[in-house]
Amino acid sequence: MVRTERLDLLDPADVARLGGLEVTTEGVVEGFLTGLHRSPRRGFSVEFAEHRMYQPGDELRYIDWKLLGRNDRLYVKQYEEETNLRAMMVCDVSASMAWQGDPARLTKLEYARRLVAALGMILLRQRDATGLVAFDEGVRAILPARARQAQWRQLAITLDGLVPGQGTAAEPALRRVLGLLRRRGLVVFVSDLLLDRELALKALRFLRHRGHQVLVLHLMDPAEVELSGPAEARFEDPETREAVVLRPRDWAEAYQATVTGVVSAWRRECRRRGIGYARITTDTPFGVALRGALVHGARLT
Amino acid sequence: MIAFLHPWFLVGLVAAAVPLILHLRQHREPPTVPFPAVRYLLDATQQHEKRLRLRHLLLLLVRTLLIVAVVLAAAAPSAPVRGVATHPPTALVIVLDNSLSSGAVAGGTPRIEVLRRTVRDALARATPSDALWLLTVDGIPRRGSPEELRSVVDTLTPTGSRLDLGGALAIAQEVVRGDHRPGGVMVVTDLQATAVTPAAVEVPVLVVAATDPAVQNVGLEAIELGSQPWGIDGARVVIRAAGDPGLRVPAQVRVGDRPARQALVAAGAPATLSLPAARPGWHEVAAELDADELRSDDRRVSGVRVAPVAAVRWGGVGRFVEAALATLRDNGRVREGNEVVVGELGGASAVVLPPAEPARLGALNRALEQRGVPWRYGVMVEVPSVTDSGSWLGRHEVTRRYALVPAGSGRTGVLATVGGAPWMVRAGSVVLLGSRLEPEWTGLPYSAAFLPFIDALVNRIARSEVVVADAAVGAPTLVPDVVTEVRQGAATWSVEGGAGFRPPAPGVYWLLAGRDTVGALSAAGDPRESLLAAAPASVVEGLWGARVVEPAAGPAAAFSLAARADLRGAFLWLAVVCGLAELVVAAWGGRIGRH
Repeated sequence: MVRTERLDLLDPADVARLGGLEVTTEGVVEGFLTGLHRSPRRGFSVEFAEHRMYQPGDELRYIDWKLLGRNDRLYVKQYEEETNLRAMMVCDVSASMAWQGDPARLTKLEYARRLVAALGMILLRQRDATGLVAFDEGVRAILPARARQAQWRQLAITLDGLVPGQGTAAEPALRRVLGLLRRRGLVVFVSDLLLDRELALKALRFLRHRGHQVLVLHLMDPAEVELSGPAEARFEDPETREAVVLRPRDWAEAYQATVTGVVSAWRRECRRRGIGYARITTDTPFGVALRGALVHGARLT
Repeated sequence: MIAFLHPWFLVGLVAAAVPLILHLRQHREPPTVPFPAVRYLLDATQQHEKRLRLRHLLLLLVRTLLIVAVVLAAAAPSAPVRGVATHPPTALVIVLDNSLSSGAVAGGTPRIEVLRRTVRDALARATPSDALWLLTVDGIPRRGSPEELRSVVDTLTPTGSRLDLGGALAIAQEVVRGDHRPGGVMVVTDLQATAVTPAAVEVPVLVVAATDPAVQNVGLEAIELGSQPWGIDGARVVIRAAGDPGLRVPAQVRVGDRPARQALVAAGAPATLSLPAARPGWHEVAAELDADELRSDDRRVSGVRVAPVAAVRWGGVGRFVEAALATLRDNGRVREGNEVVVGELGGASAVVLPPAEPARLGALNRALEQRGVPWRYGVMVEVPSVTDSGSWLGRHEVTRRYALVPAGSGRTGVLATVGGAPWMVRAGSVVLLGSRLEPEWTGLPYSAAFLPFIDALVNRIARSEVVVADAAVGAPTLVPDVVTEVRQGAATWSVEGGAGFRPPAPGVYWLLAGRDTVGALSAAGDPRESLLAAAPASVVEGLWGARVVEPAAGPAAAFSLAARADLRGAFLWLAVVCGLAELVVAAWGGRIGRH
């Protein structure tokens, strides 16, 4: 039995065994926020406003040390609270998301559900309007962004009801988000990115062009990072039924090099377009994953 | 040729198929694994597939080679090496060809001298741990120390015999294989083409061939004396020559001490000469060619008996014998008289045929007993058979005969047999035949040999002559059982009746029964020895798998026959190299992945 106060640092599979989505998400978020040592109100919904001269009594943590280094003067950062952020989380529920490399791990879809739920809870606690779009070949579910207290429950019910679909087509879902976010907002795109990269990047760039903060959370099963399996196997794509026969031992390094190249390409393309990108494997504790989202999402820093 | 000390390890070569089998197993349908990121696999394989396939083939090759190298090393392979200064303990049989042709003089030096010098030099390189044999024309391998064999070699001279090199190799090979040391056979020869015969050779063979310079030669192949005995008014002889075609050589033939007759002969062109009359008795007939580089085949001697034709009387012998005797009489080969009686027991000499009526057989046997003949006619045998080939008769059908039964203590005087049983015997001046010479008894009257047989029967057999035959020098020849002594000039050899006699040198050997000369053996060299053309080295290499060298290189090469390089180290190194190559190729697979 797992005994810890920080659910966000537990193995995701262990967290899932503790209870349903609604039960465990709160524990994960509480643990995560405790670890931040910051007020949640200052975390996701507070933006930098201006500098002012330091005055005795100001908290030292607000001193802008970079400015001190450049000008040799003490300035403190002043923030203004923003309460009208609208966030849309776009979750991939295609057939490839229903895969797990090891029965002891969560499928990518199960992991995505919990991650999205945790993000949604954090955003809603900041009183940000939060919504959800789920897609596979088409848009499967839409939960418009709301900031009311019952929104998280609606979000959890929607996530629980998601079933794996067939192929993957992100572009229609992302274009749909455009219609749902009329003001500048935050788009969190959760997917294994086994899709047409050019089309997806085109849609993400368009979102970015419309002034939205965009964060891509690239989910991967550890078995997709490092190739393993029987001496020889016929590897078949559950979505396209495309197959290849090979010996994993012979191809492990070449495959890993290819994956590294793909991840680098995504990271490079996203950075070039001002899009946050984080790669998350399904054995990563949710707290670590959320912190990654914080680091890479400019809107969340 | 590579040999193996532990050849049973070669069974392990089957294991060389394991990498191939594993390689082929890769092409079986593998299990299906769901994997969403197949697109990444396809990207990876498209980039590296060719190099990986090449890597698989290289791995298959080096792994197979590795197994083969290890198995071969375990089988302890070895291969012959040349030009080594020292040699391991070796079993060496030296075949020294001192046949008749080795007496040829080439470039002023007898061939035999070159051959002896080669063998002496080879023996000088032997060590005490070597086992040495010397095999010459007599076919007997003599074992000895280098010094002992050297003294034998020093006394060897060309013989009148032929050496069949294939046969000699077979003997030598058995000797080598009987010794625990590795070894081979060194053949020191003039490499006559006629002496090179096939042999299944499984030991290393070195042929030291003294073939330069080439020698042309014509030798006497045969003297054909015609029907014997010769009449007192002379006879004609035919002489045949063998050797290089186109050479015509003067020849002379003489009988006894009578003046010689001369003619020109060439190979394939016989000459016929008329010889003058000689006194009754046994005489030498000598044919001789003018001297050339090979003297041994320039003279041939045979024996001939000169006597008046037999005076014959016959009666009741059947129409075929009567017709034959009449023909012989008409041609002067017999005359009528009482010296030889054919058909009944009487006169000085008698040729007795069994009676046509069985009732008279008892009277005939009693007459034989009264005459002191130790043979009797026994039961009638009507089992079809044939005569055994012999000096007087070839093979002829015999359908009916009386068994000839010895009445004394021994079985002597048998001249011809049927299925091993006596058919024609002689006791003193009486000759008995087991069958009447009629078609109902034997097929002989219908054959072309009938008239010569009747001629020999009355002129020679009935007059106590046992045989005039040719023999090969050094080869055992059976002498008739009445012969007690063999004589040539002043030399005599006592022989057991029916035993073998080896003529030691060419010439005429008189066969004596007591004090009477009853026959002659004419011993001469094999006519094939006159053909001195050498066999090409390629033929020898093809027939025996032998290495052919000149006399100067022979002694040095003699003991390298057994010198073999141990190849285990080489194969182990090959295995190590294969192992390293396997590591490199396998690591290359890793580099492929990192590209």
